[in-house]
Amino acid sequence: MKRLAVLLLVAISACGGVGSSTSGFTTMGFGLPDEIATTRVDAFKKAHPDIPVTINQGQFDEQAFLSSVASGNPADVVYLPREKIGGYAARGALQPIGGCIGEQAIPTGDYYPAAAAQVQLQGQWYGIPEFYNSVVLVVNDKAAKDAGVDPAKIDTSDWDALADLAAKMTKTSGGTIERLGLHPKLPEFLPLWAKANGADLLSADGTTPHLDDPKVAEALEYAAKLIADQGGWKRVKAFADTFDYFGAGNPFAKDQLGMLLTEQFVVAAMAGVDPDAEITVLPFLGRDGQPVNSVGGNAWAVPKGAKNPEAACVWMKEMTSTETWIAAARARQAKRSAEGKVNIGTYTGNMKADDVIFREIVKPSGRRAYDDAVTVIRSVQQAGFTVPPSRAAAEFTTAYQQAATRVLQGAQPAADSLRQAQAEAVKALGP
Amino acid sequence: MRTGETRWAYTFLLPWIIGLVLFQAGPMIASAVLSFTDYDLIGAPEFVGLDNYAALAADPRVARAIENTLLYTVIHVPLACVLALGLALLLNQVTGRAAGVFRTVFYLPSMTPTVAVGVLFLFLLNGQAGLLNEVLGVFGIEGPQWTSDPDWMLPGIVIMSLWNLGASTIVLFAALRNVPRELTEAAMIDGAGSWQRFRHITLPMISAALFFVVIVDTIAALQMFDQVYTMYFGTSQAQQTTGDAALFYVVYLFQQGFQYLHMGYASALAWLLFAVIAVITFIQIKVGDRLVHYE
Amino acid sequence: MTARRIFPLMLLGAASAIFLYPFVWLVFASLRPRDLTFSGQLPIPFRPQSYADVWDAAPMLTWLLNSVVVGVAAALAVTVSSAFVAFGFAYFRFPGRGVMFASVLGTMMLPAAVTLVPTYLIWNSVGLTGTQVPLWAGNLFGSAFYIFLLRQFMLGLPRYVFEAARVDGASYLGLFWKIAVPLSRPALIIAFIFELKASWFDLMKPLIYLQDAELFTLPRGLKAVVDQFYQGGDPKWEIVLAASVVTTLPLIVVFFFGQRYFLQGIATTGRR
Repeated sequence: MKRLAVLLLVAISACGGVGSSTSGFTTMGFGLPDEIATTRVDAFKKAHPDIPVTINQGQFDEQAFLSSVASGNPADVVYLPREKIGGYAARGALQPIGGCIGEQAIPTGDYYPAAAAQVQLQGQWYGIPEFYNSVVLVVNDKAAKDAGVDPAKIDTSDWDALADLAAKMTKTSGGTIERLGLHPKLPEFLPLWAKANGADLLSADGTTPHLDDPKVAEALEYAAKLIADQGGWKRVKAFADTFDYFGAGNPFAKDQLGMLLTEQFVVAAMAGVDPDAEITVLPFLGRDGQPVNSVGGNAWAVPKGAKNPEAACVWMKEMTSTETWIAAARARQAKRSAEGKVNIGTYTGNMKADDVIFREIVKPSGRRAYDDAVTVIRSVQQAGFTVPPSRAAAEFTTAYQQAATRVLQGAQPAADSLRQAQAEAVKALGP
Repeated sequence: MRTGETRWAYTFLLPWIIGLVLFQAGPMIASAVLSFTDYDLIGAPEFVGLDNYAALAADPRVARAIENTLLYTVIHVPLACVLALGLALLLNQVTGRAAGVFRTVFYLPSMTPTVAVGVLFLFLLNGQAGLLNEVLGVFGIEGPQWTSDPDWMLPGIVIMSLWNLGASTIVLFAALRNVPRELTEAAMIDGAGSWQRFRHITLPMISAALFFVVIVDTIAALQMFDQVYTMYFGTSQAQQTTGDAALFYVVYLFQQGFQYLHMGYASALAWLLFAVIAVITFIQIKVGDRLVHYE
Repeated sequence: MTARRIFPLMLLGAASAIFLYPFVWLVFASLRPRDLTFSGQLPIPFRPQSYADVWDAAPMLTWLLNSVVVGVAAALAVTVSSAFVAFGFAYFRFPGRGVMFASVLGTMMLPAAVTLVPTYLIWNSVGLTGTQVPLWAGNLFGSAFYIFLLRQFMLGLPRYVFEAARVDGASYLGLFWKIAVPLSRPALIIAFIFELKASWFDLMKPLIYLQDAELFTLPRGLKAVVDQFYQGGDPKWEIVLAASVVTTLPLIVVFFFGQRYFLQGIATTGRR
């Protein structure tokens, strides 16, 4: 028994030294949840059977990533939200990949401009974009009818009317919200609301914050008032925590939501579980009547200290190439057809791939809601914008999101809170 | 012979001595030195004098973290001790197997990993759909939003902490069992009421155990991390939508050290924590010396 | 008289219900379909599928094994080394004993958070961050609390047993291994199971030292599951709940087998 214990100890200490000493490479932050992921991984394995890949599944974890870089033992390629790239690049946690792009002849001109801009800092490329998620307004037809409104005619550029409608759609019973009229997705979507009001949070070169712009304060105040009128932030947040966005019991199926501002993947997931959903997807119009769309998505990037950046480069190219995306989109279409469900398509960062996907693969399903949704999503893609990358992206995001949270929680008026955030942002972004 | 014995004694102590230097005293000194530097692991440490301490004094989030942590400790410790004492007194009223079964039941929550406790209460405390407010609703009370109202998140965390009374109850119950029956019986014959018996006999007799529970609980409360980190931190989404309402001191220390890699600043925070715990424990011991009745 | 006996029993029963109900809720909720997670009470409709899904949604089995390996290593390391040191304190009279023992008592008060950063730097400098070694190897040098516990226990052992063995020519190592260790069995078991539990609970160290999900222990893994399926915008509460049950259950089993030692350990030491 005791000898066994000693043996065990020795064995464990031997295991401790195991690192990434293979000839292949490892990924971080990437999972294999669906056919879009597995089809592309299979494509890579087929094209490069000589490069063994180890996929460490699991969501990107900021703290684990940074300490892996700091300890000099990071993964070779990491899958992370694009908005984090600028900050990591600036502090030296990611390496520039211009060489890789040149050697592998990665066609960077095929990416949507908003996605491409997000993976560059000061003219250097630090990542390869993956998906291209657009924000649209999803309307619950039943809620609209209850409010006596034609869902297709809802116009978000008229803020007074929008607030009225949100209030009409809201249903409460005692202190409990039964249906939320409009979920504005704050603090996350503050850039979107600001843009709708004609303001940018940060200058295009990523150096000068504009959080103290009165138009930002006006937008935040408006969105915060929307929430206050629907039961208050504390209730709205607790209620939204119970939303099962991607399941059969999604908040539209359960009539828990009137209108939701959201990325298109929520619609894509609903199409897969609820083909007959009664919803209307609309562009989110700014107060000038033009669509606004804050786009996001992940990217592949190579950490500083990666042992096998060459293999990482091959991987990034293969995962995001036009052919691979098309194969993945085909697999999705085949699966949904076989299940008798609807497919609204795969929205990639690669414009060429999207052209083929929406011309050849995604066919009208005969379900009005989803067919219209495809048209709407495609139509707002070029209106996509992002918060420009900056060297203090993390601090900047924290500053404005916490400012918004303070306002939502009722701790501070919008103007004061944003003024404080502006000071924090100026400090973080430096001279 | 004697020197041989001394040599052997130190041989046995060797692991402790190495560990003391490597993992206790060494790190203490190292963290004191680090607290005067700016160090992010990626670049070389840079000496910045007292800058970290100055920044610490001016950092509103440090103030908020201290406020939250102290407030939690001040609410949690007395409540936990009184409730544990109550349970122990009740246990002492029943005899035999029943006491054993109840004791086991009370301890079971303490066998639930802290992360799982955080997860569980994230569901139970949800203000719109959680069990707690549902139960309150039965009594016609409209419960607060325990997980999203910044004024009620701390009380929610206290409620969660009170699920975990088992260990304190067991310690106090053991102490109660050691109170000689003759003493209370004698007092009963002298006509002392139950409160007088408790106040003048039982309480002094278990004061050492009670004091011990208070100290251990206080030190643990000041270092609260697992449950709140599980519930409100870790992803930027969770973090940004809760603000600082659940920011505990060790959570902030962890964020500074391992999320932002501000090793120097985190070391300064660590030293402040050490000082605070030392002072509080010292005061408690001083007060305890007056109140505790040692046999 | 009966009323006086029944009243405490009723109160204790009520308290027990309050303490047990969260467990019941957790297990029931994990057996309900997702859209009834919050609102349901009984597991109706009964849906055990989550317990099959949870292994695919996350590498739970790997995490479970990691927790077992790390937990056993940590508990074994601390028990053996602490017993070794405790024997030194209990058996020998030597110059400096008072000071050395004071250092043991002193570090019992030292909050772990204080040495977090430099300890991390030590492991980082020898290239062991990113491995499981820092989760247990620190235990090879004994832990103040267990040294104290075991010394107290060994002081209670009859001295003449040791003296007799010395006369028979036993070495000091022999005294430790053949006499002190077997006789201290109950205390050693207490040290072992308490450290096993502490290791099974630990979130901070895995958060700091592990980056690769394949190396995660259960609490760290459960935190990753919460981040992804509760906080991360992809709600799958049934997975979170089933993972919580899987994380908790092994300890409850250990507890029922080692109940005696747990209760005795707490009553004599106050450790939770």
